[in-house]
Amino acid sequence: MLSVSGLTAEIGKVPVLRGVDLTVREADTVALLGRNGVGKTSTLRAILGLLRRTGGSVVYDGTPLDRVPTHRLAAMGVGYVPQGRGIFPLLTVEENLLLGAPAKADPQAREEIYRRFPRIRERLRQRAGTLSGGEQQMLAIARCLVMRPKLIILDEPTEGIMPKLVAQIRHEIAGIARQGISVLLVEQNLRTALRLAKRIYLMERGQIVHEGTPESLQADPDIVHRYLGVSLKDLKGARQ
Amino acid sequence: MSEYVFALAVNGLVWGLIIALIALGLSIIFGLLDIINVAHGDFFMLGTVGGLVVAVGTGSFWLALLVVPIVGLLLGAVIERLVIRPTLRQASLTIVTTFGLSIIVQEMVRATYGPQPRRMAAPIEGTVPVFGIDYEIYRIAAAAFAAVCLIVFFLFLNRTRLGTWIRAARHDPETATALGVPVTRVCAFTFALGTAMALLGGVIAAPITTVEFRTGVDILPFCFMAVIIGGLGNLQGTVAAAIMLAVLEGLMTSVLEPTSARILSLGFMCAVLLVRPHGLFAGATR
Repeated sequence: MLSVSGLTAEIGKVPVLRGVDLTVREADTVALLGRNGVGKTSTLRAILGLLRRTGGSVVYDGTPLDRVPTHRLAAMGVGYVPQGRGIFPLLTVEENLLLGAPAKADPQAREEIYRRFPRIRERLRQRAGTLSGGEQQMLAIARCLVMRPKLIILDEPTEGIMPKLVAQIRHEIAGIARQGISVLLVEQNLRTALRLAKRIYLMERGQIVHEGTPESLQADPDIVHRYLGVSLKDLKGARQ
Repeated sequence: MSEYVFALAVNGLVWGLIIALIALGLSIIFGLLDIINVAHGDFFMLGTVGGLVVAVGTGSFWLALLVVPIVGLLLGAVIERLVIRPTLRQASLTIVTTFGLSIIVQEMVRATYGPQPRRMAAPIEGTVPVFGIDYEIYRIAAAAFAAVCLIVFFLFLNRTRLGTWIRAARHDPETATALGVPVTRVCAFTFALGTAMALLGGVIAAPITTVEFRTGVDILPFCFMAVIIGGLGNLQGTVAAAIMLAVLEGLMTSVLEPTSARILSLGFMCAVLLVRPHGLFAGATR
């Protein structure tokens, strides 16, 4: 589905990605973890073409993305939930929802969204900026789903969300994965990553330094401590 | 005396509605592309000159009203591609490039159309009594037409898919791109639309102003004042500020010279910026 190989990128003249390799298979859920500033968001932005790639390759669904403009990716089936949700506060909920949808949006897809997120249906005419943080995150996810994506890229979907809503967002992401949509997830929240991901990549200084399953990661507390700075003891039972 | 003051206020309102149309063009270009378009007044001047040339050449002002904005749309698209896009997101550089563009446009018009100011006959002649004064019918028609254009513009911006894309791209071009909005094309269209609005304002204003290659030099500061007082990028605020300023200036000219009235308007703008640095309508709907 998505193959990233030797990806490099710079911000200004400073290298932020130093040869990232990762793969997301069909119906796969992959988490990209690391401390602040190691290049997780930059990796996602470089994959999407929002950050200029200086080397390496990104292949999506068999198509090299070197010459594909970013705005075409949505139509190719790549959904994106940016860090901070990327909601347009002065647009209505409905305008946000249908912003990237094809001109003749599939009414069935919309109905599915409304069934899944009834709060969105209730607030269609409301300015999106008036929604709570959790509702905005749901809208950001719904906005991707209405385009019937094959791959969804989520950047810290639980960041800044009230703890009681984090479980709901996890539930939605798990539901997306069950639908067979591939998920590439950047997370600070290790518990969320361990619960959702089938495979986990750890990043450090613009490179992938470890790849494994949630089980293999939990079996190696040193790695977790070295690259994430957290103790697994605090997360005991995270997979349950 | 009261009739005289009333006539000046109505003149201000008429002029304010036309200025609002031109200033809106400036404001959407600034809001989306971060461009301080110093050549915008010259696009207005092109509208007045184009309106006069087409109206005299074809004998139909109404044809000019149709053709000139379309030419403005195409001209805007070409200028965006050749001049604006290479310097996009470099605000200081765009001031220099659009200043150069302003000089080129003025000198081209002087070389082809000539340096002498001309007047254009109003396409609708006659007057109607308005609260005791005989007021030119064309001025009322111009104000009404400008008001209709403003309504159509806001309907376009709020009710169409392209309008939604423009509003989204103004707020967060990167996320809009990632969601499938062709932001580069949206920017090009927005610049072309803003240019067309300036030319349209020029055609409407041609019969009530002097048509010459420097007409735009006067209008540009007034548009900037409307944009700044309205709140940078605040479209409704720009319209309100343009009308308010034009009416105030109109009223001030009942007791002051036009130059003194303009100085007071600038003083008003400075006072607004001191009290509300983001404009009178900052925080209102954009």
